[in-house]
Amino acid sequence: MNDFAALGAKIKAADGPGEAIKAFLRQAVEKKVADAVLVPVKVPAGNSYAWILVTDMSILDDASPVAPVMPVQGAKALKSLTRKGHGELTVMAVMRPCEIRATFELLKLNQVNLEKVVLVSYDCPGAIPFRDYVKDPGFGEKNFQAVMAAGGPAEKNVKPACVICDEFSRVDSDIHFGWFGESGSSVLVIPSSDRGVEVLGSMGMECSDDIAGWKKTISGLKEKKTGKRTATLTETAKTIQGLDGLLGTFSECIGCHNCMAVCPICYCRQCYFDSEVAKKTPDFILETAKKRGGLAFPSDRVMFHTGRMTHMSLSCVSCGMCTDACPVDIHVAEVFSYMADITQPAFEYTAGRNDGVPLPLRKYEEKEVPQVHEIVKEAEGEEAAHE
Amino acid sequence: MEKTFVPRITSFLCTWCSYTGADLAGTGRMQYPTAIIPIKVMCSSRVDPVFILKAYLKGSDGVFLGGCHPGDCHYEVGNYHTRRRFAIVKKIFESLGLEAERLRLSWISASEGPKFARVANEFTEKIIEMGENEAKKKIFL
Ligand code: SF4
Ligand code: SF4
Ligand code: FES
Repeated sequence: MNDFAALGAKIKAADGPGEAIKAFLRQAVEKKVADAVLVPVKVPAGNSYAWILVTDMSILDDASPVAPVMPVQGAKALKSLTRKGHGELTVMAVMRPCEIRATFELLKLNQVNLEKVVLVSYDCPGAIPFRDYVKDPGFGEKNFQAVMAAGGPAEKNVKPACVICDEFSRVDSDIHFGWFGESGSSVLVIPSSDRGVEVLGSMGMECSDDIAGWKKTISGLKEKKTGKRTATLTETAKTIQGLDGLLGTFSECIGCHNCMAVCPICYCRQCYFDSEVAKKTPDFILETAKKRGGLAFPSDRVMFHTGRMTHMSLSCVSCGMCTDACPVDIHVAEVFSYMADITQPAFEYTAGRNDGVPLPLRKYEEKEVPQVHEIVKEAEGEEAAHE
Repeated sequence: MEKTFVPRITSFLCTWCSYTGADLAGTGRMQYPTAIIPIKVMCSSRVDPVFILKAYLKGSDGVFLGGCHPGDCHYEVGNYHTRRRFAIVKKIFESLGLEAERLRLSWISASEGPKFARVANEFTEKIIEMGENEAKKKIFL
């Protein structure tokens, strides 16, 4: 996110950023800049959170804009809501930065419609691994309170993806709530797009507070996290080298495809790997087994994971949903984040931006970007020789 | 008696250029190795990255992708997309320590029979040098 605004509105937040966001949402609906809000609300059983499109603001009392867990990636919720276009209502959606970034990837894939959506983000400390939380929600809540109290991006007790996340703050949302490094009793409401400026204007919020201090805090924290990400992913890289490395990494994989089902980017109604064409004839299977001397079932796990890398690593936002959903604790998100950090720069692309730049595999350059050119130049070199 | 290694090179060739080029090599009685197993596709851009992965993981010793010269694609820009698809597979192979040299892209026009024969021979020789694809032996793959 570039410097959109140098100013924000400092508002009181005696009961923490979550309550401040709720007060803001109530005000937005009162002032009629939004008709409904999309926020996580604790389920009646008290052991999870669900995305609720709130139209009756009294429900907001039970909402947790900054929820401890991410059972469903927010971009997916927004997709269910706007897949068929927008309606009459303007919706204010409060989501984590990674959820907003995934939303922009889905926007480029025509899976969401943001015409009547105001995206609200906040400084995210991380989320508790969902399975830990489900095992003992009381403990999970306590854990998350501690995470929030620390007032910065957490280093432990959160999802592994959060531990190495360096996009925990302002993204290309419309309005951002900055609170890391602010005194416990206030938060900064920061307009981050034209729409954000307009919304805050209509709400009569005056943005006259300097945000330079907050920005400095964030860039300091960011630097630390980037270092952590690089170090962790360098280790990940070592574990997945060669066919044996890949087989080792995914040796416990039970082929449930949960990692794909929860991924906000994997939007295809029918994945190739679940389709009929991916199924093989008995003759082919026997032939393969004969050649190798044997064949494991289910087979093709490495193909599934590497195939997904080719299809979606360019859009991976490192949200960690895949790891959260893996029943056998494979660090899927680290593997995909490692790959994303290689494929995205190769195409000079950064996932998660509202920059109008098409996805790399949906466009081309006649004169290719350097890393692509480097790879295809063998073929192009022949070309020159042939002329 | 030692068995000589005859590799299997899965070769995706676009119908308008490379496949016709290969055909021309054949009708012109130019020798190209039996290792080449041609698969005709309408355009090189029909080849999804997963096709390449699949060929490799199922044990092809090499994967060859042939299309029209840039600017000459029958569908105008198909092969520009091919370049990007091929690049991402190569990138992923390199990052995973897989043998990226087993993948080869080449532009061969309908009139370039000799070029097809030459590239096919060169690539086959290289694959013979590299030996068998180890994926062939992995029963857990
Ligand atoms: S691959 Fe995993 S980390 Fe990446 S976007 Fe999908 S769920 Fe999130
Ligand atoms: S969620 Fe885990 S076990 Fe299931 S397919 Fe993905 S990696 Fe394999
Ligand atoms: S038709 Fe030959 S590359 Fe497109």
